[in-house]
Amino acid sequence: MRQQFDKDIRSLDAVFAFLRRFAEEERLDARASYVLDLAVEEFFTNIVKYGRGTASDILLEAVRDGRTATVRLEEQTPVPFDVTRPTQTQFDVPFADRRPGGLGIHIAREMLDGLTYDYVDGTSRITLTKHLET
Amino acid sequence: MFSITVNDKGVILLTGRLDAAQVDKAREVFAALEVSAVVDFKELDYISSAGLGVLLATQQRLKKGGNAIKLVNMNRMVRDVFKIARFDLIFEIE
Repeated sequence: MRQQFDKDIRSLDAVFAFLRRFAEEERLDARASYVLDLAVEEFFTNIVKYGRGTASDILLEAVRDGRTATVRLEEQTPVPFDVTRPTQTQFDVPFADRRPGGLGIHIAREMLDGLTYDYVDGTSRITLTKHLET
Repeated sequence: MFSITVNDKGVILLTGRLDAAQVDKAREVFAALEVSAVVDFKELDYISSAGLGVLLATQQRLKKGGNAIKLVNMNRMVRDVFKIARFDLIFEIE
């Protein structure tokens, strides 16, 4: 299943509704459903926050293949941003100075089973995979 | 949906899904907090980094005055998120 969303934080409720429909139709387990919600939210809000130079829609595509669920986020943008590159997490920073920047992507990476990024002809594509328990 | 309420004992109750679109509701309540408090996660189904950011900022502000928030009754997935973020080292979690 696939659906386009405005590049706007207010689209999040519709994004979650899309993911809930996918989880119900494909009978995803609760853990996989949580992880995909969280990972999609983190990458979606990252795209919205940093703009990447266009106001184009974000296309979500979700597929189940056996024991693997895959969700892709796709946008047209002149500025590639490889989300698989290491981000600065602040685990070594004293508590009082710690900031949440980069935290969401770190959590998503840790909870997912796969994360890839490709950029071809102005199309940026983030692919998230999660293995299913049932 | 997400809601945040404070009961007559001063316990902050989180309900639903605390995501980036809902986080302003939580920010408003936590910004008004000036003393130590318990935050009850029993009815919270989901949290992302947006919610963690509000809790982190609150804990940092309160600690300066010798206060803190304590988090109770997290479900397993929410607890996993806290562990991965290493927030279990920042908050007392019960």
